[in-house]
Amino acid sequence: MKRQLSDPASDGSDVSEDMEDDDEYAHYYYDNTDDLDIDKPKKSDDPEYFEYTILQVEDAERLLNEEIEALCSALKVPPSLAKMLLHIHDWQRELIIEKYQQDAEGLLVESNINSEKKALVNDKDTLTGSNPACPVCADNYPRDKFLGLTCGHSFCPNCWDMHFRVQIQQGVTMGIECMGQKCKVLVPESFLYSVLTDSKLRDKFSKLCFKDLIQGHPKLRFCPGPNCSVIIFAKEPRAKKVECSLCKSTYCFKCGIEYHAPTDCDVIKKWLTKCADDSETANYISAHTKDCPKCHVCIEKNGGCNHMQCSKCKFDFCWMCLGDWKSHGSEYYECSRYKENPNIANESVHVQAREALKKYLFYFERWENHAKSLQLEEQTLQKITSRIQAKVMENEGTWIDWQYLLNAAALLKKCRYTLQYTYPYAYYMDKGGRKQLFEYQQAQLEAEVENLSWKVERAEITDRGDLENQMDIAEKRRQTLLKDFLEV
Amino acid sequence: MAATKRLTRELEELRKSALKSFRDIVVDESNILNWHGLLVPDNPPYNKGAFRIEIAFPAEYPFKPPKVTFKTKIYHPNVDEKGQVCLPIISAENWKPATKTDQVVNSLVALINDPEPEHPLRADLAEEYTKDKKKFFKNAEEFTKKHSEKRPCD
Repeated sequence: MKRQLSDPASDGSDVSEDMEDDDEYAHYYYDNTDDLDIDKPKKSDDPEYFEYTILQVEDAERLLNEEIEALCSALKVPPSLAKMLLHIHDWQRELIIEKYQQDAEGLLVESNINSEKKALVNDKDTLTGSNPACPVCADNYPRDKFLGLTCGHSFCPNCWDMHFRVQIQQGVTMGIECMGQKCKVLVPESFLYSVLTDSKLRDKFSKLCFKDLIQGHPKLRFCPGPNCSVIIFAKEPRAKKVECSLCKSTYCFKCGIEYHAPTDCDVIKKWLTKCADDSETANYISAHTKDCPKCHVCIEKNGGCNHMQCSKCKFDFCWMCLGDWKSHGSEYYECSRYKENPNIANESVHVQAREALKKYLFYFERWENHAKSLQLEEQTLQKITSRIQAKVMENEGTWIDWQYLLNAAALLKKCRYTLQYTYPYAYYMDKGGRKQLFEYQQAQLEAEVENLSWKVERAEITDRGDLENQMDIAEKRRQTLLKDFLEV
Repeated sequence: MAATKRLTRELEELRKSALKSFRDIVVDESNILNWHGLLVPDNPPYNKGAFRIEIAFPAEYPFKPPKVTFKTKIYHPNVDEKGQVCLPIISAENWKPATKTDQVVNSLVALINDPEPEHPLRADLAEEYTKDKKKFFKNAEEFTKKHSEKRPCD
């Protein structure tokens, strides 16, 4: 079991270190994390700070069992009942205890564990004779063979067994209900186990149940990484970044898809759906090559940086707007801001539709461009690694002397990633002062990321101070934007 | 098989109760899992005809729900061109092993008599039903006259 703290400021540089020395934190009790705050500074100033623990299946099982036991002893109820109450009420133990103490019967009825008094049936009376027929299979059984829940509906054990079989095969576990017409009363685990004899099915039930419980628990989530079996535990569940120490995948804790700050879960979902729907048009428009705006030679983008230099005429220009790069170096980077036609309301529907598409394409191109740049940045990283190796071989400094280059590349990746996810955010923002501020900060970040990208691709030992300065500026811009706009 | 005994019992009871709205139940001797019958609705515009339906029971019946299909064409927001119906009582989530076929039939008759345009299978008909009821009734009546079966005399 490992505890890992997400520390965005040092991502990529000392993550592996973090993971190694963490075994000493061999407890995961979420009400017992104060000891950490003594060792590590409070990260309240970091908008991306997120505390989470990586649990193995057994640890997660133990955690659930402890919560169940705690409720058992507080309410003096059997574990099977406590488990149902917790699952139904999103594991809010305090709330359950409070409600139970006020009106135990009311809570049980509300949770579909007990039947309402007036809905109670007495099948023992309605089943006729000493050898009544089961209402489900129509077979006759001695009266005392019939089984039922608190609602009073009684059925033969064979039918219950078959009912459980079919439900489990359909993947239903915590939600298995009584067989009675319109009856919503839930089957407690203890009842199911007393009837179901097939050991394979009992096993399947317990596995599916565990999955159901984890999925319903607000503080737990299965790692969405391929074939990864660990469970992430977060004391305070938020839409923050999780990096699985096992499979290395990163994702948002809340929605499980790729981390998307500063955009929130709902907006990113909307954006991704939109992109999937409109991809044909967008792909057509955002081609991989562009012509040099000055000498018109065809240029293929082969690095992450948007600051392009024509290999033929040496003209410096911006890949996004094809304008002279000189105008981008100054404080106001305009190329990330979409300029809407101010007279749009008076235009025809046709023009408005075209304007809407234009607006979407503007954001989509930038989103897509950063995604591509991120992939190209991977190649840059490989180039840097081989460059370092060559330098070390030539006795120009040691491996350690060149580490800052790798750090710079990692930071560049992180900044560009955030930058990519600012575009869906901006697309869905309402016009106004806040959007202006956002776009201003986005432009600032964009400019610094491009500066950094340019410098990383060309960095030599003499540029170290300049590069580290640039890293600092870019990360500060990123932090400022997140601090102001990442909703927590 | 649990299904056989239960279905035999249900068929007996259903024939004995002689529902006005569901009659002429035909069950293949060799396959009790497949029923045919005639649905006779009371409300206009469907009271000018009768509709053949098929009830197909799965082998796991009554632990899994039956499927109901219209064999006669019907102009109805809740029945699609293939004759499929969306009936909550027999959906996989709502199904109860203790639910009997007469309850399924009653709930189907109720749906045919009073369409539910809020969750339609045919959006075009649902829109016509809510926006221009007169036109809907006229179309449905004509459609019923043209396609439906003759109503039993009694």
